[in-house]
Amino acid sequence: MAAEKATALVLRTTDYSESSRIATLWTRELGKVRVLAKGGRRLRSTFESALDLLTVASIVLLRKSSGSLDLLVEARVVERFPRLTRDLKALYAAYYVAELLGDWTQENDPHPKLFDEALDALRTFGSPEVPTAARLLRFETVLLRELGYAPQTERCAVCRQTIPQASEQAFSAAAGGFVCPKCRNGRRGLVTVSRSAWQALRLLEGAEAEDAWKRIEPAEQKELRGLFNHYISYLLGRRPRTMLYLGE
Amino acid sequence: MGREAVGAVARLMTALGKLPGIGPKTAERLTHYLIAARPEEVLELAEAVRAIKVEIHPCRQCFNPTEGDLCHICSDPRRDATVICVVEQPKDLMALERATSYRGLYHVLGGRLAPLESLGPEQLTVDQLLRRVQEGGVKEVIMATNPNLEGDGTALYVSSLLAPLGVKVTRLARGLPSGSVLEFANSQMLSDALEGRQTF
Repeated sequence: MAAEKATALVLRTTDYSESSRIATLWTRELGKVRVLAKGGRRLRSTFESALDLLTVASIVLLRKSSGSLDLLVEARVVERFPRLTRDLKALYAAYYVAELLGDWTQENDPHPKLFDEALDALRTFGSPEVPTAARLLRFETVLLRELGYAPQTERCAVCRQTIPQASEQAFSAAAGGFVCPKCRNGRRGLVTVSRSAWQALRLLEGAEAEDAWKRIEPAEQKELRGLFNHYISYLLGRRPRTMLYLGE
Repeated sequence: MGREAVGAVARLMTALGKLPGIGPKTAERLTHYLIAARPEEVLELAEAVRAIKVEIHPCRQCFNPTEGDLCHICSDPRRDATVICVVEQPKDLMALERATSYRGLYHVLGGRLAPLESLGPEQLTVDQLLRRVQEGGVKEVIMATNPNLEGDGTALYVSSLLAPLGVKVTRLARGLPSGSVLEFANSQMLSDALEGRQTF
């Protein structure tokens, strides 16, 4: 039972006993892990305050055999995101990030790019330079790509033909992207977005300059929020609990 | 747990074993103690347990558990009714009362805002707090939610609703405990203490 080191983001904690706690951690090196933190509820525990929700911690854990919880032996705070305690929109966006990472990723399946993206999003939420809504859309775009659900934007998700320019574009969650006018016929559950929102989605995917998505207008942010709410709920098979707090 | 125990004895062991901090052995020991104890003593305990569920209900004003309409704090005329301290749970209120330095009133939210656990504002007594403030006479609301992300988030949410009402909203200070030494303080305590430093 060798000790392993990792950098972790705390996604969830639940009390286990009078003094212990079970934590769900999203680590850069090991993916999602569930650990038992003995003494983690005590004020003067060895984990200090590293097990607070959405804290980044440097951890040491002992991996257990399949089926049992890993044992957390050390956790030290590396980073916190103080803006989350000053801006409600930022806090709700952060809760949503935690829910998506916690519920949509598998244990022991690392995604270092997604980990870095999540931390960068948490750092940026609530900053005056970048709208929280746009930063969240960017995170969701990276999440969908990393998990293999990136929406088709260039070509029709059904017939693979190039999507013609039009004032409105139709999105099919079932097909996994935008569909051309021919393939729309008879297809149910389509969501229509404006051409500018469709172009904004391409910016989020990094089709142009890497940070062009920061310039997305509020109207497009609102349209894409609706589109992502629809698509992510479809993929998860339910509406995420924290989506309610994101607003339009 | 006592495989040989049956009937009322087994039921009591099972019931005691469900209490926090009580394992099977302690449950068995307590059961045998109660069997041997004087009937008056055992029935007094049983009555106290019954009363806590039958006679205790939330205070009409602050939601602290009480037997009457108003709790002993809300009905005490010596308390400062212009200050309300907002806590998550009754046990937090009791902790603050033990400090003996606060003479205002309280408001028990009944939990914290935790969207990840589907705990939303509708499960808290926020509307009732807003009504208390709107009724007038309150000059300050002290947010004494737990010093963690969900506690801070709850305080932030409640403060955002109180802000338009023109009442002063403060929160508990955090940082170094009195009587300790810097050497053994953790990094979060030190960073909180530095952030919340005061003019000497």
